[in-house]
Amino acid sequence: MAGGAMHEGFLRHARFRWLKIALWSSLAAVVVYLLADIRPQPNGGSWYGYLTGTIGAGLIVWLALLGIRKRAITPGSWSLKAWTSAHVYLGLALLVIATLHTGFRFGWNVHTLAYALMLLVIASGVYGVVVYTILPTALSANREEMTQGQMIEAIAAIDRQLRDAAQPLPRAEADLVLAALGEGLFAAGLRQRLTGRYPDCATGHAIAVFSQGGDGDFARVAALLARRQTQLERMRRHLRLKSLLEVWLYVHIPTTIALMAALTAHIISVFYYW
Amino acid sequence: MAYRLRQIEFTADGRRIVRDRDIARDAITIGRDAGNDIHLPDLALDPLHARITRRDEHHIAVAAAGTLGFTLDGANLPAATIDTRSGGELGFGGYRIAVGQEEDGATLLTIQRQGPSPGETEAIDEKRSFTLAGIMPSRRVIAWVSVLLILALFLALPIASHLLRAPGPQGRVIGDASWNPGPLSLAHHGLKDHCEACHVKAFVAVRDETCRTCHKDAHDHAPPGQLAEARLVPFLGGHLPNWLTHGFSKSGTGACADCHVEHQGQKAMVAPGSGACVDCHGDLKARLGQSRLEDASDFGTRHPQFRARIVTIPETRTFSRISLDAHPRENSGLAFSHQLHLDPRGGVARMAATIGAAKGYGSRGLQCKDCHHRGEDGVRFAPITMPRDCEACHSLAYDQVGGTFRQLHHGDVAQMEADLSAGDLHHPVVSGAVVSGRNRPGAFGVGGVYYSDFTAGPGGGDLAQRALSKGGICGECHTPRMVNGRLGVVPVTLVSRYLPDGLFDHYAHRQTRCEECHAAQHSTSSADILLPRIQQCRSCHLGEDEHKAKVPSGCVLCHAYHPSPLVRGRALWDVGMGAR
Repeated sequence: MAGGAMHEGFLRHARFRWLKIALWSSLAAVVVYLLADIRPQPNGGSWYGYLTGTIGAGLIVWLALLGIRKRAITPGSWSLKAWTSAHVYLGLALLVIATLHTGFRFGWNVHTLAYALMLLVIASGVYGVVVYTILPTALSANREEMTQGQMIEAIAAIDRQLRDAAQPLPRAEADLVLAALGEGLFAAGLRQRLTGRYPDCATGHAIAVFSQGGDGDFARVAALLARRQTQLERMRRHLRLKSLLEVWLYVHIPTTIALMAALTAHIISVFYYW
Repeated sequence: MAYRLRQIEFTADGRRIVRDRDIARDAITIGRDAGNDIHLPDLALDPLHARITRRDEHHIAVAAAGTLGFTLDGANLPAATIDTRSGGELGFGGYRIAVGQEEDGATLLTIQRQGPSPGETEAIDEKRSFTLAGIMPSRRVIAWVSVLLILALFLALPIASHLLRAPGPQGRVIGDASWNPGPLSLAHHGLKDHCEACHVKAFVAVRDETCRTCHKDAHDHAPPGQLAEARLVPFLGGHLPNWLTHGFSKSGTGACADCHVEHQGQKAMVAPGSGACVDCHGDLKARLGQSRLEDASDFGTRHPQFRARIVTIPETRTFSRISLDAHPRENSGLAFSHQLHLDPRGGVARMAATIGAAKGYGSRGLQCKDCHHRGEDGVRFAPITMPRDCEACHSLAYDQVGGTFRQLHHGDVAQMEADLSAGDLHHPVVSGAVVSGRNRPGAFGVGGVYYSDFTAGPGGGDLAQRALSKGGICGECHTPRMVNGRLGVVPVTLVSRYLPDGLFDHYAHRQTRCEECHAAQHSTSSADILLPRIQQCRSCHLGEDEHKAKVPSGCVLCHAYHPSPLVRGRALWDVGMGAR
């Protein structure tokens, strides 16, 4: 994961060139909307509606092309960074243009469905920009130079020691350790990963019992469990940050594809029943 | 008989290490504790997990020491006996112990670790595990499922249903409700489940002829050629090309749907604002050179003076539209003075007061309403008729037989001539000898009601001719003329609508006194046009967007796009007086 500086990079690209273009386009759209005399009330079927509709549909297709474009990294004024910068700001301008296209008329129909999907895509995109700006710093701070493989290996090493150390323990205590060892590192569902809360953590339960005291084998196992807990927490924070960085794509990308379908249905249907 | 424990292990590079150890006892122990004969360091096992006891030469018994059992050939058991000749596989946690018999008769127990024991780290797909890919459904699958759902429900279903529906009105289209951009207006609400009633052909905008299948009596605003010419949009000295305004199967400007926009909500259909009118009428002279209409764009600031439609040649009932600014004079064929009839101190007032309640007159003389009665629509006035509105004073009685008065037939000159020349007058209605002191020129009163003088004059003479002469019972109001060699009068045409292209609602103005707009009390001649000028209307009515006006007024307050009887009703509303 690249650092925050790169992400500032695409937002500030070329001294906010695309922010300016997006702002001016939105402003122009608003001014024309206010000046245009659309009878009896603004709607997608007026000349203004067709104009903003065409621009909006074109924008949506172009914005979606980032998914293809990003696979080829090229430098220059059409570098991936420039493209991403334009993607973010024009995506926000789309919010203005498409909203004016609707004339603020909504209903339970395929047209509003397309609009709602677009809102979802834009909202998830905004979330993505925000987390890409904020989270990478926290992610690298949490990692402390460890790679993901090292995190797994650290826990595996503790687990090996734990398994040996627990051999002399009676059944009940051995079961606690066994449960802790048996806890899959990546078994947690989406909610646990996003919140970072694991109320049924077996390592935590084992620690609760072993910390009540004891010596010899007990003390060794207790110490190992505490070390396991520390590593586990780092790993879970790492997973949480990674999930937060990634989860929006599960909304942004499938919804974009769904939006293309809804947009197709919207355009064909309005002309089918013209 | 001994037990031969054969431990099989693998080094990191996969090399197999086999160690044999013999135990010459009948009973051995298995467990996690290092003191067991078979030490299996697996936390899933008890410190002392099971015992193996020899039964005879070929049989051993396995029994769990605690509550946890073991598996024999996959089956979970607390105790079992095994024939060492046929053998078996015991399972303890992550370990397998194969039971068999060596050639020297020793019982062979082959101990082998089977894969990782619970809790041991398995090979981890690092890339996948650290992302959500491991726990979320595939993005591709989500995307494709939603694409297919959306296209199927909102595109394929309605289109297929539209194409395959039964012909005729019973054929329904399924799923097109999702295409409806907004509720239909109240008038079209019944069509809400029949999109195809208006959207007849795919990819073709709603056509005027479709509207006309129901709206058969919607009239054109003007001749189609003129309309088309006026609607060309001026652009850079020429016109915008047609394909831009009519292209792509769009109906284009002037189509019904251009003004009557549907799907705007379940309410009365939104009336087009003045803008739609001003599009053409704002610069009609430029668009339509031959038009006699002046440009109009705002009632308060840019609207021509009213042009009254008045009778100029009564004999032929010829009308002319003349601006009120030109001080037009009308010739309706009737002589009448509003001033004479409305003067509160004049003879008419006293006569009306005398007749009084019998005819609905008040004590203060004639009022407007005594002759101008409200019409059935409440918007305008009923046409004036002689018997109802004049005859109370202008009696047509000419002879008295007993207690009955014989009357002339109004509107029938030949009958009048016949009646008066019949020579069978019993008691001709006569002179002021009966009642005196209430004369007016050429009129006499009998029993409180006024009569004309139908006695033959000293030199005899034709009563009919006398009636038609100036001052006679007919000639007092009518102009005599010869029609095909016979006596007659010039036909009377009383205009009920001077402004036929506008809709003026008298009912809406009922709180205004008549004389505020109509200067009737000063009019001595029926030639006067008693209409207010536009300046007077503007004291209340200004343009649609003039919010300071008492009544901001758009075009459609007075005008209608489609001529209808209510608005443009010459044929229905202009009624000649001749036959009344």
